[in-house]
Amino acid sequence: MTAIKALRKNPLKSLLIFSSITIAVMAIFLISSVSQGVIGMYSKMINSDGDIIVTQKGISDTFFSNVDIGLIQKINELKHVSSSYAMIVGASPVGHIPIAGIYGTTANHFEHYKLLRGVYPKEGEVILGENLAKQFSTSNINIGNKKFEISGVYSSEIGFEEGGLVMNISDAGVLFNRSASMLFVSSSSPNEIESIAKKISDLSSEIEVKTTQNFVKEYNQFKIIENSSLVISTLAFAMGLMGIASVMSMIVNSRKEEFGIMRALGKSRFFIIKNLFFETLIMSISAYIFALLLSLGILALLPHIEMLQWYVNGTLSLSTALYVLASTIFMALLGSLLPAWIASKTDPILLINQGCA
Amino acid sequence: MIQASHVSHFYGAEQVLFDLSFEIKNGEFLFLSGESGSGKSTLLSILSTLLKPSSGELFIEGESVLEIKNIDYFRQSKIGFVFQFHYLINYLNVYENIALAALEDKKQNINKILEELGILELSSRYPNEISGGQRQRVALARALVNEPKIIFADEPTGSLDSKNSKIVYSLLAQAVQKGTTVVVASHDMQIENYATQIIRLKD
Repeated sequence: MTAIKALRKNPLKSLLIFSSITIAVMAIFLISSVSQGVIGMYSKMINSDGDIIVTQKGISDTFFSNVDIGLIQKINELKHVSSSYAMIVGASPVGHIPIAGIYGTTANHFEHYKLLRGVYPKEGEVILGENLAKQFSTSNINIGNKKFEISGVYSSEIGFEEGGLVMNISDAGVLFNRSASMLFVSSSSPNEIESIAKKISDLSSEIEVKTTQNFVKEYNQFKIIENSSLVISTLAFAMGLMGIASVMSMIVNSRKEEFGIMRALGKSRFFIIKNLFFETLIMSISAYIFALLLSLGILALLPHIEMLQWYVNGTLSLSTALYVLASTIFMALLGSLLPAWIASKTDPILLINQGCA
Repeated sequence: MIQASHVSHFYGAEQVLFDLSFEIKNGEFLFLSGESGSGKSTLLSILSTLLKPSSGELFIEGESVLEIKNIDYFRQSKIGFVFQFHYLINYLNVYENIALAALEDKKQNINKILEELGILELSSRYPNEISGGQRQRVALARALVNEPKIIFADEPTGSLDSKNSKIVYSLLAQAVQKGTTVVVASHDMQIENYATQIIRLKD
């Protein structure tokens, strides 16, 4: 009760703490959520079809991978292989859009993209992701220095695909000067995936074959995104937390007079610490909830922001949310209780005089 | 009884109290007088347990202050303090400010004391909603609520006009009549009219 009264009676200070905590928490949420979202979207795209992925050996990024599409025929002849398809993943200016994802695929993979209108593309044609389609009212578009007819519009749950376009792999091969970026293979028997991967690997010395699950785990680009996001978000969060701790510390120091009066009235250190504990807890939890709601709101808006080309999706995991909650409360308590504990050991009259100074 | 034995105090290298020894008997109205900087407030703070002396010892009711196990409870139950600038907690109303200092079994006294001091109608107001004289009466009520054996007051009329000063002194004198020991540090020589013992500190 006293804690709430103290917060309400000092609205400016309360607002300052509340804002500091909110901004710090939002920084960590948004940075980590966006990077998790990017990784999640690409993982989903790769995981969505196929048990095995074939890429060029020694290539760290699938954008640079070049695999002989002729391998498809040999792979299809292997026992327990139910289907396979090839894909080229690239990015290029599309019409007036500075950059968009381009997915060239064999015709047997077109069904992955749900047609909203039109038909799947023939050579010289493309289908546009729903978000990208909003930008074009023409029947054709320029990709690089080539013109393509728009044959339809598709939808996808994956933000990258919604903001991109799909064409035949032969057209993509000309655009990006390669045979295929990746081959995806599905098995008729889950127990045979490893043995199929081994057999595919034996077909060529220039390829790397992995189960899609292992590929997602080991993909260097994901590791780079994860690590850089971890570094940035940790730094942002650390700065935010230091900010929280220092604001709390300043607030506590500005209340030395009050603590001195309480000690002079016979209130124990425990009484002062307990009240401050509840004040900090109320403040940090309410700021955390506010930051969480704001972040969720922003993350929901991100895929609809034209400037971001509808690519950026955010995913906020429960573990991140809980970790941030625990860290926020810990640092706020550390920032407030430590100076309060030190102050409470000072003679009351000195505290009062320090507070007046 | 309060007994100060060879009490000295330093702020850094500056010595403000020099080997003071004296006794204050129960029921006395002691006036600590002296010029600014003579150490009145420092001595009052030491006598009221709010400041540890650099050297020397203080005994209250025969017990060394350094050996009191629960100094917080001791302060709350045995000592009342009136500060020059009232030092009320700004986010608590008048009643809550007094309740903050009150022992559980003394909370029933709050309204009675507020009535005696003529400020009962202010009980739900906040410190910034009442006058300086009223605030000092609230501070006095806070000092009286636990019926302490000793009341210490540091320049209790320093921020008051003469009319309100008289009210405060007469309230302190009433407390002495009820057996409470009162120790007041002040510049105001009016208090000599009420004091039973005077200690003059020289710079």
